[in-house]
Amino acid sequence: MKNFQISRRKFLGSAAAAGAITTLGTMATVGSAGLVTSCSGDTKKKKYNNIEELKLPPLLEKAPDGKPLKAGLVGCGGRGTGAAINFLKAGNGLSITAIADLFEDKIKDCREKLKKENNELTDDQCFLGFDAYEKVIASGVDIVILATPPHFRPKQFADAVNAGKHVFMEKPVAVDPVGARTIMAAAKKAESLGLTVVTGTQRRHQHDYVGTYKQIMDGAIGDIVGANCYWNQNMLWFRKKEASWSDMEAMIRDWVNWCWLSGDHIVEQHVHNIDVINWFTGKTPVKAVGFGARHRRVTGDQYDMFSIDYVYDNGLHMHSMCRQIDGTVNNVSEYIVGTNGMSNCKNTIYNPDGSVLWTFDYGKDEQGKPLEKTKISPYDQEHIDMVTAIRTNKPINEAEATAVSTLVGIMGRISAYTGKEVTWDEMMNSEIKLGPETYVLGPMDMTPKIPVPGEAKEEEKK
Amino acid sequence: MKNIFKSLKVSGKLLLLIGIIIGLFLFFAGKKATEYTSTDEFCQKCHVHPHAEASWKLSTHYNNKRGVYVHCVDCHLPPKGFPYLREKIKTGARDVWGKLFKDPAKINWEAKAQLDHAKKIVYKESCIHCHQNLFPIGLSEKGDKAHLYYSQHPDDLHCINCHLYVGHYNPNAKHEQSTDFAQGQETVNNIIYPAPAVVSKFENFTEFVPNTNVSFEMVAIPGGTFKMGSTEKEQLRKENEGPVREVTISPFFMGRVEVSWKEYLAFFNATASEGRLTQKDKEAKAKNVDAITGPTPPYGDPSQGWGKGDKPAITMTHHAAQVYCEWLSKRTGRKYRLPTEAEWEYACRAKSETPYFFPGNPKKYTENGFMKKIFGPDTSVIASHAIYKLNSGNKTQEPKSLKPNAFGLVNMLGNIKEFCSDYYAADAYSKTGKAVTNPKGPESGSEFVIRGGAFDSDASELRSATRDFTQTDKWLKTDPQIPKSIWWYSDVINVGFRVVCEPDSSILNK
Repeated sequence: MKNFQISRRKFLGSAAAAGAITTLGTMATVGSAGLVTSCSGDTKKKKYNNIEELKLPPLLEKAPDGKPLKAGLVGCGGRGTGAAINFLKAGNGLSITAIADLFEDKIKDCREKLKKENNELTDDQCFLGFDAYEKVIASGVDIVILATPPHFRPKQFADAVNAGKHVFMEKPVAVDPVGARTIMAAAKKAESLGLTVVTGTQRRHQHDYVGTYKQIMDGAIGDIVGANCYWNQNMLWFRKKEASWSDMEAMIRDWVNWCWLSGDHIVEQHVHNIDVINWFTGKTPVKAVGFGARHRRVTGDQYDMFSIDYVYDNGLHMHSMCRQIDGTVNNVSEYIVGTNGMSNCKNTIYNPDGSVLWTFDYGKDEQGKPLEKTKISPYDQEHIDMVTAIRTNKPINEAEATAVSTLVGIMGRISAYTGKEVTWDEMMNSEIKLGPETYVLGPMDMTPKIPVPGEAKEEEKK
Repeated sequence: MKNIFKSLKVSGKLLLLIGIIIGLFLFFAGKKATEYTSTDEFCQKCHVHPHAEASWKLSTHYNNKRGVYVHCVDCHLPPKGFPYLREKIKTGARDVWGKLFKDPAKINWEAKAQLDHAKKIVYKESCIHCHQNLFPIGLSEKGDKAHLYYSQHPDDLHCINCHLYVGHYNPNAKHEQSTDFAQGQETVNNIIYPAPAVVSKFENFTEFVPNTNVSFEMVAIPGGTFKMGSTEKEQLRKENEGPVREVTISPFFMGRVEVSWKEYLAFFNATASEGRLTQKDKEAKAKNVDAITGPTPPYGDPSQGWGKGDKPAITMTHHAAQVYCEWLSKRTGRKYRLPTEAEWEYACRAKSETPYFFPGNPKKYTENGFMKKIFGPDTSVIASHAIYKLNSGNKTQEPKSLKPNAFGLVNMLGNIKEFCSDYYAADAYSKTGKAVTNPKGPESGSEFVIRGGAFDSDASELRSATRDFTQTDKWLKTDPQIPKSIWWYSDVINVGFRVVCEPDSSILNK
């Protein structure tokens, strides 16, 4: 945590200095404009000294050849299977040699899809049950892909690291403070072992975001003084319980609607945008006050919307909002304001007057038409970067940063549920742990307990 | 002329050469000397305390599976570099002084092994110089939590806050929850008291804790009016001890001595809870007065290996002390509680208006000051009335050898600092009128008053008017649990308490 912040803070220090210089330059220009009209408004930017310090992935089009790498997949749902295929496409000599899930139909689907990618699996490479992930870790793989509902991530990640495996895991990495801290400690162990950990925060692997990030670190908008981020979309999917399912099975199949499994959508989905702001500012919010409500959801115990005011240690505010309701306006993006301009973090930088200063150049397609997206999908890119890191022995480890962003999301959620101010310090010491102690495909309390702000208990809800 | 210049040139070169040779000689000789004076053998020529050597050889820094020896200077000096030389000169000078003028037999080695002193002679940079990876594979879950905390608050802690005995083995040191902490208590008598004492008059009595073999003495403190605090004339006073007020106190009983381990462990055994309580449990418990849930097992050894029995119980939290009083009240049917700050000072002064309840003044007794370093402070009278820095051997002592104050209370001013029920505020005295009856301190606050000096206090802190307060965060720094214990402080060893009992109105009129 500290180390990771220091290197970024150090960097940001120079960026801030650059911002200050730019501001002074502008002020001097404005001040002298009345006297010396010939003075141009040339504001000199300070270049970052060492691009290495930004710890950016190399973003190659394909991972270099090298030692064959075997990966095991834990969680064979849509994203898990997708991640496995992204992995297979990342380079040569890559294979999936073990898969695990709780449900046979998911295993069957996944096997069929992987077969189409020329990756056949035998029966004894497929594992079923809550402890199936242990068998995957023990099966002789180099990499473990963790894509179950986030509730299960901390224990699985810690075990994978203890076994010395590289890890690709989906965001978010936890649903509660105890889990987030488990990830942080395991992240340190992974770092000491030189393991590579990529965490599904794919904006950090997008050419356009990375290009914009470099510009901003160069001082393009000065010092960052305000931030917004959004994930407002239509209703997400849900599953109603079928007669043959146990309560546990019904909850897990409907996991994006249960807080103990997903962390609620401010954590499950919106963590992407929160992570971008943390990444660009190089900081972690110190406290949060938020609103939230549930109006339209069909199953589960989650909210439909959150609106959180996060405060950073230097007084910077980030407004975060997320919503999952049909028929409402959509927006999935970020926006930062600097002392000398604004940016959407993705591909555009604006002057203080709103005019465009810079846009990211996506290149051209074969017909010579300008592209509007990065050539390589970020879902592929993060696996290319992971394999590259392993094969070139230049580890990247995003576990801690993503654990921090996850816990920031959790901090906002708890504030919205309770109506109270929640501090980062509380989160780093909180013993809130959601979900049952042991996992059995059997009866569960499925009566949704929707938190009521002002009344919700300290422990939130189980 | 030319020749002179020439010979000067030659001699200049010669001088340079000689200079280089001398320089090289000094460099290598210095290097050799530094190396020679950094061997274990050299250290042990003067540091002739065989216990240190023996315990080092049993520790993980000598006796380990990897077969690596960690030498004296590896921990007791900073890593090589300028600070190394600077500290080497400093500690070397100190050691030579000690060797020449001090009697090793009179040095309290045990006290020097305690954390506060150990922090001064063990260098954190040196720990980290070798232990570069704080998150090795196989680190326990508790280790994860503790090191994660450390990595975020590196300035708060020294490595030896938790890893105190890794360099010198201590067979009694515990780095785990002591589930057997209260076991194996000596039972002097086999009497189990069936009922509490019968108190029909306002006079001293011996209380019996029903269903245990524990008894303790309570002293009747008559009511009265006294001047609370210290005037500006008092030597070594602090600002928070004023202004002086006329305070009237109603009669009450007070424990003759501080609550002992024997008494506290009776409570521990009767109420100990297995898991840790959260704030919510605490609130739920507060509503349900019938069921008193007591302390969880402590982490490590709260008695510091100094013995239990009649020694004062220490390191319990202020909350735990309050629950003890609740429990005692339930068991005896009498109203026990912590004293208010005013009651405490009234009882301590026992009608005296001087800095101490015995003769003498603070400047005479304190060991601070240049002249005191040479001639030593006066300990004649004070040492027979209080256990403090100069007669404690840096640990708590049994109270039996001490003289009581005029009310018959023992060790009010020493041994351990005592909890009061008042919240602490530096300006508490100025917030009330000049004459008050049974004041209770501020209505709210975050820390509580503690009064009296302790075994590690200087005489200046032993004055009847001295005020101090709890420091919850600081005292729970190394508690490896999240959330931190509400029952045991992990980082303070000189606090405990004494109970008071409110007399029934029926006996006061007799």
